[in-house]
Amino acid sequence: MLSIKDLKAEIDGKEILKGINLDVKPGEVHAIMGPNGSGKSTLASVLAGRDIFKVTGGKIEFKAKNLLNLNPEERSREGIFLAFQYPIEIPGVSITNFMRAAVDEHRKHRGLDPMNASKFLRYMKEKKALVELDAKLEGRAVNEGFSGGEKKKNEVFQMAMLEPDLAILDETDSGLDIDALKVVANGVNKLKTKDNATIVITHYQRLLDYIVPDIIHVLYNGRIVKTGGRELALELEKYGYDEIKKEADKQF
Amino acid sequence: MTQTNIKEKIFADLYSEQEKFLFPKDVRAKSVKLFYKSDIPDNKTENWRKFNSKPIFDHHYKLGKKLNFDTSVFDTLSFFEPESNRIVLTNGYYNENASEKKTDEIFIGSLKNAEKKQKEIIEKYLRKTKNKNPDYFSVLNDAYVKDGAFIYVPDNVKLEKPIYILHFIQSDNGNIFSQNRNLIIAGKNTSFKVIHTFHSLSSDFSFNNTVTDICLDDDAQAEYYLFEGEGNTAAHVNRININSEKGSSFKSNVITFCGSVVRNNFHADFFGEHAEIDLKGIYMPDKEQQVHNFINISHSKPNCRSNQLFKGLIDNKAVSVFTGKVFVARDAQKTDSAQSNQNLLLTDYARAHSRPQLEIYADDVACSHGSTTGQLDKEALFYMKTRGISEKKAKTMLMNAFLKDVTTHISEGSYRNYVNFLINKRLKGQHPESLCNIKVCPSC
Repeated sequence: MLSIKDLKAEIDGKEILKGINLDVKPGEVHAIMGPNGSGKSTLASVLAGRDIFKVTGGKIEFKAKNLLNLNPEERSREGIFLAFQYPIEIPGVSITNFMRAAVDEHRKHRGLDPMNASKFLRYMKEKKALVELDAKLEGRAVNEGFSGGEKKKNEVFQMAMLEPDLAILDETDSGLDIDALKVVANGVNKLKTKDNATIVITHYQRLLDYIVPDIIHVLYNGRIVKTGGRELALELEKYGYDEIKKEADKQF
Repeated sequence: MTQTNIKEKIFADLYSEQEKFLFPKDVRAKSVKLFYKSDIPDNKTENWRKFNSKPIFDHHYKLGKKLNFDTSVFDTLSFFEPESNRIVLTNGYYNENASEKKTDEIFIGSLKNAEKKQKEIIEKYLRKTKNKNPDYFSVLNDAYVKDGAFIYVPDNVKLEKPIYILHFIQSDNGNIFSQNRNLIIAGKNTSFKVIHTFHSLSSDFSFNNTVTDICLDDDAQAEYYLFEGEGNTAAHVNRININSEKGSSFKSNVITFCGSVVRNNFHADFFGEHAEIDLKGIYMPDKEQQVHNFINISHSKPNCRSNQLFKGLIDNKAVSVFTGKVFVARDAQKTDSAQSNQNLLLTDYARAHSRPQLEIYADDVACSHGSTTGQLDKEALFYMKTRGISEKKAKTMLMNAFLKDVTTHISEGSYRNYVNFLINKRLKGQHPESLCNIKVCPSC
């Protein structure tokens, strides 16, 4: 589904990603871990199409399309979803209108007519229940005045609404207490099918107790320096990143 | 060209007119004299900083005539309810055929041809506002204005439906100079709404010099909606004098949609305690248009509240100027005054000038002011795009959200819909003159 080859990206002339290789197949859950400043969030941003990062080399193919040729909205419509580490507040734009615009664009992309208002509200209600979002959304502006937990739940709710093929969760666990974390993880797990894939970006292994990955990658200094199974997370939890860092520093 | 030459050239028609003017001879003589002494305000005049009068004085105008008016134009104004009281002015003249009075409880009509009984009322109230803070254009209006709208809502009358003042620029041939003087009197304990709109039926150049005096007696509650949409070739100087007695509430909302140069001068004064004045506005200049909102609120009495919220979307090479003066007298304790001016610049060439000016002599007051000028939030745009929303749609949604603080306060539904409809069209990229010039906007 997603194939990243030797991806290099920089910001303000500073190279952050120094050759990333990653293959994600339908049905897989990948976790990308790594110390602070290793490039995890940059990778998420580059996949979503954020223009402050300049891609200087490599290729990204998504469902056999050159992702780098697509702008962020096209990537979304093709099936990429980024759950933000810090979801943006948009005062004055109601969640209903926001989601309506998004869902309409996705439907248009698939050659479908926009949903009528009552059908849309039903759909929203359904998805809210699915991700256990109990906050009242009607009439509230996007993320405005939301608590940290509500913002993250709202991201998962949006993911449920848009049903992406590839969801990228950027530090979705940061700032969450254990109850909120469970709700968020539950939502993500419920949305999982054999046809879609998830990339979970996290600093801690805690989230991986709830969203169980098939493959774990360790990102350090702009490169994936280690890839392994579930046991890799436990190893990291026990010994920290120091060992891996040392090894990697020797290599590059 | 010297200033006197300009005056003679531009306003040549005025002096040859034999028709009667609105004000009596002695009053006029003073104003004419004053007008000749005063200079066209420019960047050096403090209250008129950044004002460029070129779009006004670059043309030679003919004094607008009273022409036949086709009332089918009303069909293009979706906010207009035919069953309501209305005053129609064309080129500043009261149009008796198009105007209509539906309720006996109130007086509406021409300011010039008011009945004798009303004349006394008019005299009484006009005395209050006359010659306070005169400026070049208000003096020009004093000297040569001929007619305008008159609304008098007697004590204890409460109206559900709005009263309309609809002004149309009409040209039979050439550029039009038009003046009008309006007086709105809210008696004690009254409650009503006025929707005052300006349109043009021609694409010739025009200059409209308006003065509206609004007097609120004790405990009166008035809402005043002003819509300026005369098109890209129209210049408009609009002065609004507000006089608030004790316990009264005045809420206004001015939408400046387009105009080569539009200047709104609000002069508000409290004459009694526990009164409230709320001024809100939206301006959306495009091309090389200028929009000025000058506000001068005088808190002469204690325990009054004033609020200003003006928001602007400035496109292309347009310029906006906001000057918000709040004066709080020594005795005006417990004054509560808030001011906010927010601008979004849509291009690299658009400019917004924002000048909050607070002059406070009392020591127990709450006065706040804030001003922001910036661009659309890039983070929000990216966030929206990652949900599949196109850049254009995302921008439209953000601009709509920005203006919502002002438009949601329009309590008259059909008018609010009209304003939102035009704003939406505008945000989708339609040029304002194609929307404002109501002849070419059949869908409005």
